[in-house]
Amino acid sequence: MTTQQKISDSPIDFAEQIIQDVKNSKEDGVLKCVQCGMCTSTCPAARHSDYNPREIIERVLDGDESIIEDDNIWNCFYCYTCHSVCPVGNSVCEVNQILKQFAIAHEIGYEKLYEYMGFADSYFTAAIGAIPEIFFEDIDRDVPGWWDFRQHLDEIRDELELDPPLMPPNDVIDEVSTILTITGFKDKIERIRDSQEVEQ
Amino acid sequence: MKQVPEKDILLFRSCLVSVEYPGVEASTKFVFDKLGIDYSISEKQTCCTGLGHYSDVFSQLDTSAIGARNFKIARELGRPNLVMMCATCYAINKKSVKLLNKKDDLREEINQLFDENGLSHLKYEKDDLKPTENIFHVVDILYGKKDEIKDHIKYDLSDYTIATHHGCHYCKVHYEDTIGGVRDPNIIDELIEECGCKTIGWYDHKRATCGTGFRQRYSNPDLSFTATADKMNAIADEDVDILVHLCPNCHIQFDRYQHLIGEREERKFRAIHLNIAQFIALAMGGDLDKVIGQKAHTVPIDSVIKELKEVEK
Repeated sequence: MTTQQKISDSPIDFAEQIIQDVKNSKEDGVLKCVQCGMCTSTCPAARHSDYNPREIIERVLDGDESIIEDDNIWNCFYCYTCHSVCPVGNSVCEVNQILKQFAIAHEIGYEKLYEYMGFADSYFTAAIGAIPEIFFEDIDRDVPGWWDFRQHLDEIRDELELDPPLMPPNDVIDEVSTILTITGFKDKIERIRDSQEVEQ
Repeated sequence: MKQVPEKDILLFRSCLVSVEYPGVEASTKFVFDKLGIDYSISEKQTCCTGLGHYSDVFSQLDTSAIGARNFKIARELGRPNLVMMCATCYAINKKSVKLLNKKDDLREEINQLFDENGLSHLKYEKDDLKPTENIFHVVDILYGKKDEIKDHIKYDLSDYTIATHHGCHYCKVHYEDTIGGVRDPNIIDELIEECGCKTIGWYDHKRATCGTGFRQRYSNPDLSFTATADKMNAIADEDVDILVHLCPNCHIQFDRYQHLIGEREERKFRAIHLNIAQFIALAMGGDLDKVIGQKAHTVPIDSVIKELKEVEK
């Protein structure tokens, strides 16, 4: 007979899930954390918000899976400063990225990804990354002359004699679209979009 | 120091360089040509997915499958040395090579997907590329040829106060491969010295992030710009004329948003912002419009560099 395992029976299971994740490059680094706080003391998000990388690892090692619902994890800059200074070879920055992928797998944080659908669309349909158009109004307000510059981008590129041209050819776009269909990317993007557009 | 190639290079195109600071690409080519670097650019290569990856929209499977395709293209061109103009492309591609070599499950999953969907020609075999031997940033290549830089210097920029900002995704992600220091990064300072100039060296927050933080700049701008202000205040305290960096994402943060952050801080910031390839190209005589691409800059380059003085022979 099997009995359902409670997280309190083996809190280390949560850390083990992280260790097994494809993104993890630090083997069992998360288990080596000594809570020294070097990560938090050098972290720009900790300096300016309630984000606390030391506490993230503490909660992971406590088996506190509710951390994937904590809004604070979305404040990480992905600057890898914690990763570069950790004395035991752990990486909170990577753990944070893994926690977010866990959240997304549980359909948590879709509203945060929704703003970046423009990047997904651009990569899927044109095989090139792009700042999502949803942010253009903010950029135009905040950056004097940016919109005008973008209108003249082709002329500037021509003057620099850049070759090959900006946009990839159609056979490249087709191949990239196929790859992003078979990895499940396209379905994920449609799920995110459907969830947010229904709510709106 | 790791071995740095000077041939069989695929210069990896960056989405942000292409549409925000195309002069970084023109300047890199200009300097590579002067130094006799053997490189080419391919229209088949697509961008690294980095902005989407670090906005958490692309999974590791998505990013590494796109990476596997780019790695195959580089090998088929006989150019297995990928050289990146963007720190994010550098970190993303190096990580994908590491994972594809080390994690059999990931590699086999991608190869199986390729096999089942008519893309067998893109399959990645273990150790097709090596993270340290094949994945570089432009600064690595320039460092490998740094003794030759001084032979090509036309203009003397030594009268300017120069500081450097080393992109986090060059220095901190794969720190075992970083040239010139991680906690006290100096590779850009050393390259600038080869142009006959002296930088200010260490300053407060020198190793700190530019503050972009990927999603933070757009979705959480108060947090992003507050972090950037730490750096901009430190640079202004040193009365810096030129800040030199190595990543288009940092470039956007400093150049596009300097005015806004100045308003937030109630302080006038006046530094101009150049990529290290632009700085060296300028010192080597590259034209401000045809090579440096000054029209793409928000803080005008000529607000600081008003005339160019030739070096005394």
